[in-house]
Amino acid sequence: MAGGGEALGGGGKQKRGKASKRKAKKRVGFRLDMTPLVDITFLLLTFFMLTTSMITPQTMEMNVPPDLEAPVEVRESELLTVRVRQDGKIFYNMGTDAPEAVNLKELHKVIVDQNVNLKNRCIVSLKAEPTVPYGIFITVIDEIHQCEPDIINGLKANGINERQRKFTVAPMEAKDREEIAGL
Amino acid sequence: MSKIKKKRVGFVLDMTPLVDITFLLLTFFMFTAKFKSESDSEQKYQVKRPQASVDTTKLPEQDLVIIKVGIDTVNRDTAYHISMLNEQDRIKLSQVMIQKEFPGVQPNQNAFVTKDTVWLESIVQEARFINHRAQFAVDADRRIQFAWIERAMNAMRKKRATTFNFVTDKKQ
Repeated sequence: MAGGGEALGGGGKQKRGKASKRKAKKRVGFRLDMTPLVDITFLLLTFFMLTTSMITPQTMEMNVPPDLEAPVEVRESELLTVRVRQDGKIFYNMGTDAPEAVNLKELHKVIVDQNVNLKNRCIVSLKAEPTVPYGIFITVIDEIHQCEPDIINGLKANGINERQRKFTVAPMEAKDREEIAGL
Repeated sequence: MSKIKKKRVGFVLDMTPLVDITFLLLTFFMFTAKFKSESDSEQKYQVKRPQASVDTTKLPEQDLVIIKVGIDTVNRDTAYHISMLNEQDRIKLSQVMIQKEFPGVQPNQNAFVTKDTVWLESIVQEARFINHRAQFAVDADRRIQFAWIERAMNAMRKKRATTFNFVTDKKQ
């Protein structure tokens, strides 16, 4: 309404008793103090930024054979057994060979070599002691998973383009424990 | 000389672009923020997931049965905590488990806590009946003994849930 009064000029001044005392200010655009708004917005922004976790859990897929009565026969010469002892030590052996202690890096090399040599027929069987921490078990599986690209490359170099993966988790038995006990 | 000195009227800064951007970011974070679900806030244990590097598949947000194995922060106890993500499935599972007389079961129970593999097997079986598309995930603490996982794996195997996922964190 003040704008209207201004437009009317002197006449307006006379009609409004109180307005006449006010100095007719020239409008310089609309200005709003945004500081409190910005304060609150920043507060909320920091809250949401700090509470959001961008890292979402990921998954590792596992396949287990169904619980069938008929046992699957495998050739021992194609079976690569990886055993994880209670203290976290890893042992591997091919078929009926004596187990050998390895670290993760060596295990990687062994698995890649055997898979490439046996041309897809190698079966990797992982056996872990029930008292082994689950974290170590996952680390070993992770390492076995990581072998895949190298195996595929190795197979390609030998002229095989298809990769058939054979990996299983088997329970640790008394016989397995005996074999790696003294090492 | 001839210039008339202007009187300073305080320092005024145009905050509009700043406010624009701040609001933009605020809305982004508000919409992406995910709050803890009811079942999460109920749990008395924290799961320190094992770290793995290869797989980058994310955990599905629907049709999932999670078997959590955590160490209780108070009494250092371990148990299986089985829950289904879909709300309807959860209600159905609770109803079935009431019929089966699961100890301490309530309607619309979030998670079924058990140490017994027989109960675990029966829950896995019922969960598969209720939602045949459901995937299974094992979310376990890296410090627990492998025996817990082995038993869970055997239970799932018996009930023909032969494909499942291990929940891991990305290796830094």
